[in-house]
Amino acid sequence: MTRRAASHPQPPRAPHRGARRSALHWRDTALFIGPTLLALAVVAVLPTLWAIFSSLFDWHFHRPDARSFVGIDNYLRLARDPRFLNAAWVTTIYTTVSVSATLVFGTLLALLTKAPFPGKGLVRALLTVPMIMTPVVSTLVWKTFFFEADLGLINWVLGFAGIEGPAWVASSPSALITILVVNIWFMTPFVYLVMDAALEGLPTDVIDAAKIDGAGYWRRVRFVILPMLRATIVFTVIFRITIDARMFEIIHVMTGGGPARDTEVLTLWVYNAALRGFHLGYGNAGGVVLMLLVGSACLAIMLVGLRDLYQRTGTT
Amino acid sequence: MSPHAKRRLAEAARLLAIAVAVFIAMLPLLWVVLASFKTAADVSQLPPRLLFSPTLENYQRVLDAGFANFFRNSVVITLAAVALSVVLGVPAAYGFSRLRVPAARPLLLFVLSIRFVPYIVFAVPLFVILANLRLVGTHGALVVVYILINLPLVVWLMKSFFDDVPTDIDDAAAVDGANRFQTFALVVLPSAAAGVACVTILSFIFTWNEYLLALVLSGRAAQTLPVVLTRFLGGMEDPVRWGLLSASSVVVLAPVVIVTLLVHRYVRAGFGGSA
Repeated sequence: MTRRAASHPQPPRAPHRGARRSALHWRDTALFIGPTLLALAVVAVLPTLWAIFSSLFDWHFHRPDARSFVGIDNYLRLARDPRFLNAAWVTTIYTTVSVSATLVFGTLLALLTKAPFPGKGLVRALLTVPMIMTPVVSTLVWKTFFFEADLGLINWVLGFAGIEGPAWVASSPSALITILVVNIWFMTPFVYLVMDAALEGLPTDVIDAAKIDGAGYWRRVRFVILPMLRATIVFTVIFRITIDARMFEIIHVMTGGGPARDTEVLTLWVYNAALRGFHLGYGNAGGVVLMLLVGSACLAIMLVGLRDLYQRTGTT
Repeated sequence: MSPHAKRRLAEAARLLAIAVAVFIAMLPLLWVVLASFKTAADVSQLPPRLLFSPTLENYQRVLDAGFANFFRNSVVITLAAVALSVVLGVPAAYGFSRLRVPAARPLLLFVLSIRFVPYIVFAVPLFVILANLRLVGTHGALVVVYILINLPLVVWLMKSFFDDVPTDIDDAAAVDGANRFQTFALVVLPSAAAGVACVTILSFIFTWNEYLLALVLSGRAAQTLPVVLTRFLGGMEDPVRWGLLSASSVVVLAPVVIVTLLVHRYVRAGFGGSA
């Protein structure tokens, strides 16, 4: 998943094996890599283990002495908790729609801007802006100026078409649409940048050959360009899933999970259960399930993608 | 229609589509910047007033509300966190690129896997652990915790930059009698300077914008701007406050937007390579 792998899929590179380098110098290795591994062990591994450990307890933040070991009871409770199941469902919809839409829009944009045109450099820079804007701020701007029911831009524009727009953030199902719109707007530039870089790395001779053979533009895209981008697409989808599945700020700021838990995704559920309700054990059990869901979704896509990758490296 | 005219039409449609995309991408930023200079009477007008007499009163109110203090929090925490991740991560990336590391691939995958874990899974335990240590609300706690966000990115991206530097120069340095650290700091690192710029800028953007960990761990004393914005602007449904909302938004956005547009090359290289 380095720059190299993203643009030109290759088999894993063998480590450098010069005579001098092959010797293992424990002191050097420990000095260069040790601090990073230690730091990550403290801030990442320790909390993760603690989350898993606490999920086996009935554990309230303000009554730490009354905690009791309950085994997998928290997980069994999750499976019957309608609020949790709702959150899992909302997360699935949110992630699926947003990942698909950004993949389509981002790839289209990269294809559109591939051929040179005046101002290309500036356009590329400006198209990056949504992704680097502070998400809390972007969400506030969308919520206040665009989705506001009476004074918002969107309902004003809809008014010209004779449509009376809903109270976007406060009603169902429009609330879900608002967080999807902001997330798609926010993340399309990410896909665009990745695809744009990958397109630049493609060998032009193959595409030119297809053109000479008489393949029209969309046929070249469908049968020549997209197949060459498969590895990039797989990695992009995996990254996008992890980003959407952990999304918190857009939803927290836009709807707070409402109305009627319509937009309560799993991150928000864990936040509410563990840090608002202070049920650490139960909340963390939900967090562990979220982690497993994300992990298995990525693994599934990785397996499909890797099979693809090896086939490709076998033929090229 | 002649093939020539058809091609020109297709080209016009392409440019129009690009223009629309740029417009949608930029609209929230343009809107909030304009709104920040409008009076309370102008800010909620539709159609939007493009010609208006600009005022700085919104920015004055942001200053009066003590925003400078929170701005300082954000700057201190972000710079310290970025420095920490770069200082730790760049040598580690060099090690993974050049040294023989036992179990290098599993270790690299472990580093990468941290980017796949939803932050809320870290946030709850970190809150409990830091609360027990009485460290919630300290700048240092947030600085250290932001390793989570930045360090995996720094290690992976820098490793690919180091991999692009030919190992011949390591060998040449070794022949000249440089030790491993000298080779890294004096020979290879300068050749990968663009990579350092790239990871520094990306880490800066991610840290400056981060919300969830800051919300949970910053307490009152170490609140960063995104947290302040949502807490302190309660009741901004009221159009009277839209100017204040806009001006404080612009203050939060300015550093990341300016940095991105100035050194877009690095941002692009970083994000393009991050997948």
